[in-house]
Amino acid sequence: MSIHGSRKAFDLDWVERWARRVNEDRVLPRIGRFFNARFVLGVDDTDYLCEVRKGKIEKISEGLEPSDLGYEFALRAPSSAWSKFSQKTPPPMFNDIWAMAHPLHKQLHIEGNQLTFWQNLRALHWMLALMREV
Amino acid sequence: MNKHDPIVGRYVYVTCQGKTYRTYYEEAGEGIPLVCLHTAGADGREYRHQLCDPDITSNFRVIAFDLPRHGKSLPPADYWKEEDEYKLTTNFYSEFILEFCRALELHKPVVMGQSMGGNICLDLALRYENEYSALIALEGCDHSPGWHIDPLHHPHIHGGEAVATSVFGLMAPDSPDEYRWETWWYYAQGGPGIFKGDLYYYSVDSDYRDKVHKISGKVPIYFLTGEYDFACTPEMTQRTAEKVKNSECVIFGGGHFPTSEDPDKFKEVIMPVFKKILQNDPERRGGSARDYQARGTSGSSTRSRSGERPSERRVIDL
Repeated sequence: MSIHGSRKAFDLDWVERWARRVNEDRVLPRIGRFFNARFVLGVDDTDYLCEVRKGKIEKISEGLEPSDLGYEFALRAPSSAWSKFSQKTPPPMFNDIWAMAHPLHKQLHIEGNQLTFWQNLRALHWMLALMREV
Repeated sequence: MNKHDPIVGRYVYVTCQGKTYRTYYEEAGEGIPLVCLHTAGADGREYRHQLCDPDITSNFRVIAFDLPRHGKSLPPADYWKEEDEYKLTTNFYSEFILEFCRALELHKPVVMGQSMGGNICLDLALRYENEYSALIALEGCDHSPGWHIDPLHHPHIHGGEAVATSVFGLMAPDSPDEYRWETWWYYAQGGPGIFKGDLYYYSVDSDYRDKVHKISGKVPIYFLTGEYDFACTPEMTQRTAEKVKNSECVIFGGGHFPTSEDPDKFKEVIMPVFKKILQNDPERRGGSARDYQARGTSGSSTRSRSGERPSERRVIDL
């Protein structure tokens, strides 16, 4: 069991399966060609640091360490919200990160440098949608 | 023989608030004029399916125009000298719709708008109730906050891709991929800052919460909202409709762009509305009278959501 909890959905194994699915995608190399960033996928109290280069996830780290030297942005939401988001057909208000983050709904928090987030929104959006195929 | 759509496109010169705008519109059909208003940052192509549907065009003269700065309608000639960023206002939007209808010499048209085009229906009912015979507010409500944000027009962000992706999740996941991505394309083609400028109207200058109870009810208003609309949720539309006299409210299993994201599903929910409008206006229906059969039903959403509104940020400009 990880020091970060015993949750099975969205545990490190799950995140790794998602990252492998991302990396075999045939569209991301085109739309994510310039997507180079380090972002945090936050699930409940667990942070996963995802290092992205040319639209592929090169490294996932569970938990943040000072030697990570930070990250650019974070998407943090409770596992209940990610669980709905990643359903094959997600329910209303949970089918999109901007839907979950919108001030009317506040299910997901976008933190850090929002410029990087918005610059790569198309590829990021595509990448996160692949959670529905994990 | 080559296949053509029955749509005809033309330009008309519309004068509004002292400026004349060369305005593109498309039309098809005959009967009651049905003026269609596109969403923020988009254009009249959102109505291409309805413009090609003989079940609609046999009784309605369907007209979809592009607002100035949208689609094939140019901005004012001196736009490049403007000192303030583009912001659509309630006054301009409402007056422009009226002036467009006058330019085409339309008599008491029906207006159908979606998103910001739905919200403006409330203002049309407040200001110009004698000018229209019915209003159809798709994805409309009396206040839709949270969208007038800087990332939607920023030189370091690809406006087309960011804008289009920001609205993608407003569509229902089961709407056909082909039409969802066509809607994405419309958005990716918008002019710089136009989506954000329209959202000034949508989120800032269209707060009708303290006004809608003044709508007299002379003009019937039909509200239709899809359950996946997170900008104008079913609850927001229902709350608005409860305050508006002579209104009806339908919640259906769709999203924020019903005319373009899933035209078949939209037809199921809109045809009963068109049937009612025809029943109230039998003299003006088109030459080939048809019997409209209502297909499909709509269910009400029962999800609850807090009425919490985002707090205003205090900003001081120096």
